[in-house]
Amino acid sequence: MYGIADLDNCYVSCERVFRPDLKGVPVVVLSNNDGCVVARSNEAKAMGVKEGTPYFQLEQQFPNNKIAVFSSNYELYGELTGRVISIIRSETPAYFRYSIDECFMYLDGIELDQLKSWGERLHKRVKREVGMPISIGLAPNKTLAKIASKFAKKYVGYHHCCMIDTDEKRIKALKLFPIEDVWGIGRRYAAKLQSHGIVTAYDFATHHKDWVQLVFNNINIVRTWQELNGEDAVPNEELAKKKSICTSRSFNGMISDFDTLRTHVSNYAARCAEKLRIQNTVASTIGVFLNTNAFREDLAQYWNFQEGRLITPTNSTIPIVGAACDVLKKIYRPGYQYKKAGVIVMGVGPDSPIQQDLFDINAEQIEKMRRLDQVIDRINRLNGSETIVIGAQQYTRKDGKGKANVFANAIKHDFKSPNPTTRWSDIIKLK
Amino acid sequence: MGNIKIKRGVFDTKLELEHAGIKAGFPSPADDYIHDTLDFNRDYIRHPEASFYGDVEGDSMKDAGIFDGDRVIIDKAVEPHHGSIVVAFWNGEFTMKYLDLTHKAEGYIELRPANPDYPVFKVEAGDNFEVWGVVIHLIRTFE
Repeated sequence: MYGIADLDNCYVSCERVFRPDLKGVPVVVLSNNDGCVVARSNEAKAMGVKEGTPYFQLEQQFPNNKIAVFSSNYELYGELTGRVISIIRSETPAYFRYSIDECFMYLDGIELDQLKSWGERLHKRVKREVGMPISIGLAPNKTLAKIASKFAKKYVGYHHCCMIDTDEKRIKALKLFPIEDVWGIGRRYAAKLQSHGIVTAYDFATHHKDWVQLVFNNINIVRTWQELNGEDAVPNEELAKKKSICTSRSFNGMISDFDTLRTHVSNYAARCAEKLRIQNTVASTIGVFLNTNAFREDLAQYWNFQEGRLITPTNSTIPIVGAACDVLKKIYRPGYQYKKAGVIVMGVGPDSPIQQDLFDINAEQIEKMRRLDQVIDRINRLNGSETIVIGAQQYTRKDGKGKANVFANAIKHDFKSPNPTTRWSDIIKLK
Repeated sequence: MGNIKIKRGVFDTKLELEHAGIKAGFPSPADDYIHDTLDFNRDYIRHPEASFYGDVEGDSMKDAGIFDGDRVIIDKAVEPHHGSIVVAFWNGEFTMKYLDLTHKAEGYIELRPANPDYPVFKVEAGDNFEVWGVVIHLIRTFE
């Protein structure tokens, strides 16, 4: 059997851990730069707050409601979700973290008739020890487990854990489940399926397999169809392949000068390198994109995306930042007001010890870089991120003299919560 | 013969030999007694995922030997019992007090300070209240 643990309204739940007073209150978390709503509590959803609502519209739309608003605090979310994953690790035979708020679990070894109560206990443990609610779905494959977790979240009667273990339950669940919410069915495929009159997961599962193959000619869609019919078809390795990692931001205001853009891009690249190191992977291609504000039709528009290749795949900050800056140089055009930039690292593979060739003059250099990254990561972990950055990551001061803010300070976050789990200065005060 | 390729790698053989206790020279007489170094995190934090820290403000717990500026370790996995020093969220702030369950059967519990100058908080059954965690250690730095 498979399981999935899904952290309910993840960012909001994280904010509530140190704010018990926000239980039962509408809470939203904003995107970087406090742009728009990216996470909502159930109360905010019930009020009609939509995902993606720009912050400045919140007050206009809900003048009579009190909504607790937070800037996103990924330092906090990363630490607290890490605790949840750590508990899951201690309770499951095997697991795979799929995203910041989802974790697949392989449950062979736990007795089938014990599974449901095991899941309920796991929820209780996470709720009590970390203070965050999770929903657990259990099923013979990953697609059905995802569906089960949605039921666990929606209906209190399941006690946060729903199991689809019989054909009867499977069919009942599929009939109630919209096709566009099925894991693996993107928006594009959902539209195509709906054009064929398919509304629920059940409608899809009862079509003939030949029809699915003929109409879509896509192995992943066929696998989804198989899983809806109870087979275990999505290979586990498929999950682990994070083919690319992206770090991008909309700027607080607009930017036209190259140096400031380069500093931003250097920071995104450094963040990508850090993400690669966290998951023990390396990248071979670095892509950079840049665009102006499409909503400002009065301004000249420009966007571009290009890639650069690394000779040796790496997860080191310095070569990745260097490659990203090289690409930026190629796509930058003066005279435009830029609104957003991003770095995408691609060709991601496992970080295996490279057989170093005697004639590769880079080999020794690479080993040195690796050690440098380890030291920097450790210092930044202990003292707060961005205690040490490379020169390219530093912003020039407003008066043009010397270097000033690092990345975190350059983002607008007026409503950021403290970091009681990662900074001694922020731990809770007890009266 | 002409096809030998020389590869360069990192030699870690020395490390392995040391581990096996067969490095050059006499073996250390302590090798048979190797034991891991004492480690506060490992030995004092029973539930790492459930452990948090707090700084004490004020002297409401001074008779329990907890003073302003002390740092405490809070464990959310530990079941609070009568007499536990707990962290609770009450009146909009975190507070640290003794948990008094004497009157639980009568429908209320008390948060009791360890200082006669401070009031006892009475928490009724219907109040929006929960014990956030249990204080398991105190850290006071002298030098």
